[in-house]
Amino acid sequence: MVFSFELFGQALVTGILIGGIFALISVGLSLIWGVMRIINFAHGEFLMIAMYIAYFLVVKGGWDPYLTIFVTAPALFLIGVLIFQSTIRPILKDPSMNQIMLTVGLSLILQNLALVFFKADVLTANTAYTRLNFFLGPVVVRGSQLIAFVGSGLAAFLLYWFLQKTETGRAIRAASINRDAATLVGINVRNTYLLAFGIGSASLGVAASLMIPFYYTSPTVGLFFGLIAYVVVVLGGLGNFPGALVAGLIIGLTESIGASLLPGSLARVLTFGIFIIVLLLRPQGIFGGKQK
Amino acid sequence: MKTPLKNSSTLLALLLLMAFVLPLFAGEYLIHIGVLVLFYAYMAVAWNILGGYAGQHSLGHALFMGIGAYTSTYLFTRLGLTPWIGMWLGGALAGLTGWFVGYLCFRYGLKGPYFALVTIAMAEAAVYLVNNITAVGGAQGLEVAWTGSAPLLMQFDGKSGYYYVILVMSILAVWLSSWLIKRRFGYQLVSVRENEDAAEALGVDTLRVKIQASIISAIMTALGGTFFAQYFTYINPRNVFGEGPSIQILLFAIIGGLGTVWGPVVGALVLVPVAELSRGWLGGSFAGAHILLYGTVLVLVMLFMPNGIVGLYEKLRGKMKSYRSSNQGSEAS
Amino acid sequence: MLVVSDLRRDFDGLTAVHDLSFTVEPGEIVGMIGPNGAGKTTTFAMLAGFLTPTSGEILFQGKRINNLKPHQVCKLGLTRTFQIVQPFPDMTALENIMVGAYVRYPNTTDAKHKAMEVLERVNLLHKADTLGKNLTLIELKRLEIGKALATEPSLLLLDEVASGLKDAEVDNILVLVRQLNKEGITFLIVEHLMKVIMNLSQRVIVLDFGQMIGQGTPQEVSRNPAVLAAYLGKEEE
Repeated sequence: MVFSFELFGQALVTGILIGGIFALISVGLSLIWGVMRIINFAHGEFLMIAMYIAYFLVVKGGWDPYLTIFVTAPALFLIGVLIFQSTIRPILKDPSMNQIMLTVGLSLILQNLALVFFKADVLTANTAYTRLNFFLGPVVVRGSQLIAFVGSGLAAFLLYWFLQKTETGRAIRAASINRDAATLVGINVRNTYLLAFGIGSASLGVAASLMIPFYYTSPTVGLFFGLIAYVVVVLGGLGNFPGALVAGLIIGLTESIGASLLPGSLARVLTFGIFIIVLLLRPQGIFGGKQK
Repeated sequence: MKTPLKNSSTLLALLLLMAFVLPLFAGEYLIHIGVLVLFYAYMAVAWNILGGYAGQHSLGHALFMGIGAYTSTYLFTRLGLTPWIGMWLGGALAGLTGWFVGYLCFRYGLKGPYFALVTIAMAEAAVYLVNNITAVGGAQGLEVAWTGSAPLLMQFDGKSGYYYVILVMSILAVWLSSWLIKRRFGYQLVSVRENEDAAEALGVDTLRVKIQASIISAIMTALGGTFFAQYFTYINPRNVFGEGPSIQILLFAIIGGLGTVWGPVVGALVLVPVAELSRGWLGGSFAGAHILLYGTVLVLVMLFMPNGIVGLYEKLRGKMKSYRSSNQGSEAS
Repeated sequence: MLVVSDLRRDFDGLTAVHDLSFTVEPGEIVGMIGPNGAGKTTTFAMLAGFLTPTSGEILFQGKRINNLKPHQVCKLGLTRTFQIVQPFPDMTALENIMVGAYVRYPNTTDAKHKAMEVLERVNLLHKADTLGKNLTLIELKRLEIGKALATEPSLLLLDEVASGLKDAEVDNILVLVRQLNKEGITFLIVEHLMKVIMNLSQRVIVLDFGQMIGQGTPQEVSRNPAVLAAYLGKEEE
């Protein structure tokens, strides 16, 4: 546990960059959870699927990783819509624990489909950006992470703009606040949910494409990110977009600085500790969000 | 409330008899499947006390399994203490943890998904915590070195010894579960699940009842953890604290029928043999196929029969009853 | 039996109840009326222990119960029913009532015995084995009373027990309440239905905007100008 400014600075930079990705992964969940009050335990697995798609396009198809967004985003939108229509829509009015169990089942299916088809191998893509590095004094800034950070910010901003400024977006927000009132003013709530689910899933497609230059994929890669998404959403406040962004950064920093200060993987214990404390003492998140 | 499915005691006696004589006829592989069925049935029954009866769905129950497994195994491998005693120490520790988790969560009024999330976080935190404790082997885990037949050390030559241990444990668990549900505690648990405010208004100390359920469930789960360690002879943070075990613990309770006495058993009985046989059949090239099966069944059950197999049976029986009684002119219940 | 003094309850900038003081003597049937939003439900919640008063005192049989939890209040002898019925859906009517009976009879056989008695009292004996979710509204209302009765309360808080019921059914409830009152149970009843209030209550408390604006016999109250203004004024708005 040697403390040095270089190490701290590195952790700080990495933490911020990673935090941006955490934020992007989480806004999709925040949207889905906030709009439909469904806790999708397969959220991480959607990311995993997208990462496999991105990986194969890059490695087998020679694509530029960032161009894969044009495939992963629509693909995830479609997959999200399909899964929503077939499994989630029927149980929208069921008790929340049934919904949770169903999505747990989905995550088992998706994880093990990946296992069956792609084996347990950890796959890393070697792209033009993978070894791109900048130097801020002693601190190494990985180009791929920086691009991911910027990309995440852009995507999150686009999503935010969509929700705030477009009519469809406002319909989604209306349906999330009060579905009955929304129905009364002519909003097709079912379609709104569908759209929200699709968009939330699509955002994972974007995140995956941004991550593939510096992160591996494997059948279980979704477990960690899924859980992190929950931590971020709860911390930032359910349905609270800016909150998710800030919370993403906080968690990214916690992970990163924690890893540099604490031995082994104890940083993760810290992250979960924060999660538990927030759930106990301030479940609406630091910045306040929708109540369950 | 769902009363015991098999109200025919002769049927029950017959099944018990079959269960007891199985090892006399079956080969090692079949006995192994029997062990798995009984183990998962046992764990599901234990989980069901908190998750089914009290309605507090813990998605991180492996926390208690891990505590049981690590406590008895550590004491066994490092201090030579027999797991027969070690398991109760593990149980006590788990009971304490169950109290702690229950008190923390329920005192702060956590319900449903939020409670589930906390339990997941705690179990995951345990994984990473234990990963870093070298005294218990860190990420490498602990191995229960098999040194030959030693029943007093919960080690047996061949699988039948273990089979009988888990059989007795399962019988006791089901008995406890069916005993509890008929007493005041059982009624209070279910009332909390059904309508917590109404229960409070009727004099039920909902906080205390939930915590008690948490403690009982935790202790039972921990004892199962010790068995797991002894039978599979290898534990590491992931395979006893991880989300895999957590999900497998509750899977069969949900598929079989939440909140019923026999649901968890039926769930394990129906699903485990199918999954294990298909796993052996498909072999290594389809690793994960049996979990695929579990996941698919879970999704289908949630979509079409959320009350599980037992729930479906009860519903059909109810329909049958009314069909019969409508012939006699009485109203359907 | 019940002494409420200067009761107040604030919610995040909104004062639901303030300066509320009243008593309920043993053996009485006291009615509480008032327009929607007057604070009746909030008051009930405070009495039963579901909400803590911001200030003021609630004394039940001489004991201060401000900070007690609902189950503790129930054990002392104050039980409430809920305006929107709160049955245990997957338990039978008998089991529903047994939950209440267990307060005084920890033994299952005794509790069952008591529950059967109560079922008969509220005319639900024939539905003893019907699941809560399969009962009709009037049956659920009777179940609601039955559950509370099983706890052998000294003071029973009835929250809009007649809402949603047909005339004949309301009469049944009136008869039941009067009988129970004769047997020694004190009642505090919240009602919108004037018929119930006028016929049952010996005394009526009127709330509006969180405070008491009138008190007296049903006749006195129905002629009280402040009360009339509260109701008529609301209609005009």
